[in-house]
Amino acid sequence: METVVFLISAAVILSGALGVIFSKNPVHSALFMVQTLFGVAVLFVLLEATFLAAIQVIVYAGAIVILFVFVITLLGVDRAEDLKVEPISGQRPLAVVLGASIFGIILTVLIVAVGGPTGEQVANTPIGDASDNTKILGEALFSTHVFSVELTALLLTVAVVGAVVLSTRPTKPLISTLDKQQNDNLEDELEEKGEE
Amino acid sequence: MSTNLLIVAFERPAIDWHAVAPEIVLLSVGVLITLLDILFLEKARPYMAALSGLGILATAIPLLTLGIDGTERVLFDGAYVVDNFSLVLKAIFLLAGYVVILLSTNYIVDGDYWESEYYGLLLASLMGMIMMASSRDLISVFVALELLSIPAYLMVAWRKRDPKSNEAGLKYYLMGVFASAVMLYGMSLLFGVSGTTVLSEIADSIDAGNGSSSVMTLGIVFVVAGFAFKVSAVPFHTWAPDVYEGAPTPVTAFLSVASKAAGFVALLALIFVGFYELSNIWEPLIWILAALSMTVGNLVALRQTNIVRLMAYSGVAQTGFMIAPLAVAGHSLSTGNQALSAIVTYLAIYAAMNLGAFAVIITLARRTGSAEIDSFSGAFHFAPGLTVAMTIFLFSLAGIPPLGGWFAKFEVFRVLATSGETWGYLLAVVAAINSVIALFYYATIARKMWADDPSEKDLNNIEVTPSLVSALAICVLVTLLFGIFPQLVARFTEVSLLAFGV
Amino acid sequence: MMIIASDPLLSSDIGFSVVAIMLLKVVIAFALLMVSVMLVIWFERKIVADMHNRVGPSLAGPWGILQTLADGIKLFFKEDLLPERADRVVFRLAPYLSLVPAFLSFAIVPIGGDFTNGGDGTVSIFGHRTLLQVADPPVGILLFLALSSIAVYGVMLAGWSSGSKYPLLGSVRASAQMISYEAALGLSMATVFLFSGTLSTSGIVSGQATWNWNLVSTGFIPFIIFVIAGTAELNRPPFDLVEAEQELVGGFHTEYSSIRFALFFLAEFMNMITMSAIAVTLFLGGPNGPILIKQIAWVWPILWFFLKVMAFLFTFVWLRATLPRLRYDQLMDLGWKLLIPASLGWFLLIAALNIGEDRGWSTFLIVPIGLIVLSLAALLLNGAIKKAKDSSLHAADLSEISEGVDQ
Repeated sequence: METVVFLISAAVILSGALGVIFSKNPVHSALFMVQTLFGVAVLFVLLEATFLAAIQVIVYAGAIVILFVFVITLLGVDRAEDLKVEPISGQRPLAVVLGASIFGIILTVLIVAVGGPTGEQVANTPIGDASDNTKILGEALFSTHVFSVELTALLLTVAVVGAVVLSTRPTKPLISTLDKQQNDNLEDELEEKGEE
Repeated sequence: MSTNLLIVAFERPAIDWHAVAPEIVLLSVGVLITLLDILFLEKARPYMAALSGLGILATAIPLLTLGIDGTERVLFDGAYVVDNFSLVLKAIFLLAGYVVILLSTNYIVDGDYWESEYYGLLLASLMGMIMMASSRDLISVFVALELLSIPAYLMVAWRKRDPKSNEAGLKYYLMGVFASAVMLYGMSLLFGVSGTTVLSEIADSIDAGNGSSSVMTLGIVFVVAGFAFKVSAVPFHTWAPDVYEGAPTPVTAFLSVASKAAGFVALLALIFVGFYELSNIWEPLIWILAALSMTVGNLVALRQTNIVRLMAYSGVAQTGFMIAPLAVAGHSLSTGNQALSAIVTYLAIYAAMNLGAFAVIITLARRTGSAEIDSFSGAFHFAPGLTVAMTIFLFSLAGIPPLGGWFAKFEVFRVLATSGETWGYLLAVVAAINSVIALFYYATIARKMWADDPSEKDLNNIEVTPSLVSALAICVLVTLLFGIFPQLVARFTEVSLLAFGV
Repeated sequence: MMIIASDPLLSSDIGFSVVAIMLLKVVIAFALLMVSVMLVIWFERKIVADMHNRVGPSLAGPWGILQTLADGIKLFFKEDLLPERADRVVFRLAPYLSLVPAFLSFAIVPIGGDFTNGGDGTVSIFGHRTLLQVADPPVGILLFLALSSIAVYGVMLAGWSSGSKYPLLGSVRASAQMISYEAALGLSMATVFLFSGTLSTSGIVSGQATWNWNLVSTGFIPFIIFVIAGTAELNRPPFDLVEAEQELVGGFHTEYSSIRFALFFLAEFMNMITMSAIAVTLFLGGPNGPILIKQIAWVWPILWFFLKVMAFLFTFVWLRATLPRLRYDQLMDLGWKLLIPASLGWFLLIAALNIGEDRGWSTFLIVPIGLIVLSLAALLLNGAIKKAKDSSLHAADLSEISEGVDQ
């Protein structure tokens, strides 16, 4: 039963991942990505990590990829693009060869791994009782990893600040130190305008 | 069905507040800056630089008390450790951060940039580095890495109107994220094999022979590759020249020193605490990285005409020198210890001399309006003091006695030569050849500044702002002091990460 | 597998009868939802008509009750159009992405069962005890959030794949709106979890068995936020910018016709029913209520549940008939600057009270201190927003003038 579910979701994940790469249309790529994320969520359920599965769907599918789609459709880059241009000749075949060889190495290592790929735990051992894993996760996050969690909050704040800053132009320095004179003139003009 | 994890009532983790005091102080300063910016907008902007500088100095106080106290503090089940190693590196980061703020002060005001946000991000990045110095756990290492990288991506793209800056930001971001992904994959493999994220427990698991060594190897290779990107070692250096050139120069200085040092810290913690036993895996890897970085970095630097790009390649070459002792660190425990102190020494001295060089570059480039090496010709005629300082930094980078860089290089050679391994001798030879090549291009710059005729008509002495003077003074002092009294730095950098006798 | 084992039905060996009961539950839930949709559409039209002083549907069946059926049959026989510039696959897929989550999220709602007096909410069918809900996963409510985040795709992709600008604008609005309000929705739910200590719907309901409804114990605020955010999540008036007829023709489903349009329509009303049911489960004690006649004890919870959901449905219709549509910036302001901070602040206050209870702090101290801290934070937030608005207006003025100067 578990094997069947695993095989099906593995097929879903892999076909989704391939779809992301080979779709010509960015929106289709994003949708294939959702497919992949869904497959991963199913694997989480299989490992009885139901909380992770739900969060996987809520956060990745529900927030991140939908924003991808949002941006793609809003910017109007949702038509297939011509990817035939090759800035450096021979780049593409080289990339294929290198990618394939790295894939080959990883695959070989995982297959020939002595004593199974994983050590301490078998790959499909649940971390705990399914009904409690929200609790287990919460306790781990707020005891052992509390420092990292708190700093992740800082990280996210920084990312938001940065995104806002990079997307807007500074208002003041446009007219600040470089030419104070002009700035004053402008403000005078503003006042005049207000009086009118 | 495994229900071996019993549900217990939540217990608040015990936190040693003294140990995390530096982080808390720094965080509070960051929050304060953000709040002041929100409340007073541009009225508060002129004070932001001073405030963040003071904040960094305030952060140094708990660091000092921790250093005097001297006990090793372990928090969060070994995930966060405050020992001598982390304290020394935190001090290096703070000093580098302080100098970068001094460098930024006038640069950021003049250039149509967001100011308060700039200092906020700088402090956040510094926070990530300080956290990195103490992290002994894959998760905190990763969070720290992202915390120091993401503000850096943003600061690189800070010159919004300059396409080069935008290009630099995008390149740095894409390459950085790619490296993070590779590294995370490596970390997941390590976790899969050992079943733990704490580095010392990974070491135990290696000792116990758990899991497959081939998967472990793959994990280590990926993790090392991820950090090799961060320290810009060949062949993961391709981002460096473009990013260094496009970014605002103070940010370049920050990246070339603090960000690189943070990558080294993580690498050291991972290798010494985590996989020291598996030296047969990482030693050859490091050897190749070191030899390639030195050679490629120096050879390409020879052909550069832009001083910032030249510093980028020189930085790559210096990375090669810094990483070299690691290639023999697994030979014996005492060699490992020596290698660790050599690297920490090099990091401290490199921070001083490289920041100093960038301080001079910033000042001169403001005057000449160009970062081409030719535009610095004859700098002696209009900026004698800066030329002297630059010469000191350049010769220190080249490793000429009695400057700090000499002692740093000497330590590296000592470790390589006394390890008693053929590979170590070979690497020492490579390093020696490269030192000569490096001297050539460093000396060329110095010669141009001293001997050539200035390209400009305006020979009035250059105006140097007080903050730049203090930055230069700090850097010159450290460079000279560590060169003339090497035992000083040696005293501070005699740190250890290896739990000997285990 | 322990995942669905909180339902006693699945704790024993799974035999033929268990499978049959499961199937029966699925079929009943589906049929119930379909019939209710039919009636709710009629109900809405009738109530709105009354409020507008019109007659409303009155010809098909008694009181026009079969009007929806007639409309459905009519739609079924209409021509199914596929716009030339549409993305064929996605255009066909989108209605199902709307419909399937709408149905699935109803599966976790307990529609009956006696939870009072220590009852576990199960009923006996063919000698098996089972909960009156299709599934009771341990992450219950999170499943609802996950499914509602999938439902965004239906709207988003419907608009995009139509290859036409009005639907695209509608769908872009929809995704921004639904994502924004999902945050407030989730945060207001989080306060409930503080009391229930579980995410499972049956657990949440049984936690409210003794008239201690979460509505009161969480202090009303989360409930109000939930209802507002829920209305926005449903794209119902006054938050129906997604299909604002005056601006966007018909919104994201402009290009849809025939049965595909009917699917969207169906999904919309299913979502409305599910959202009411979830609100009842979270805040109003679900099927809990007094059992008046012991002989037919199993009827009462279902009746109470039905009545509570009806109250919600009526409110939704009432809102539609009463309130004008929000402007887009008002919508975003309300979501990001009011609802999310308010729900977060309230959550923190309740959490502080909970911790205080554990550690024996005085409640009389926590509440005022908490309120003071929260109002300080609110003051800061408002000040910052005002400052930012002023300075951006100022900058806009300046740049306008400087452009004029350049010319």
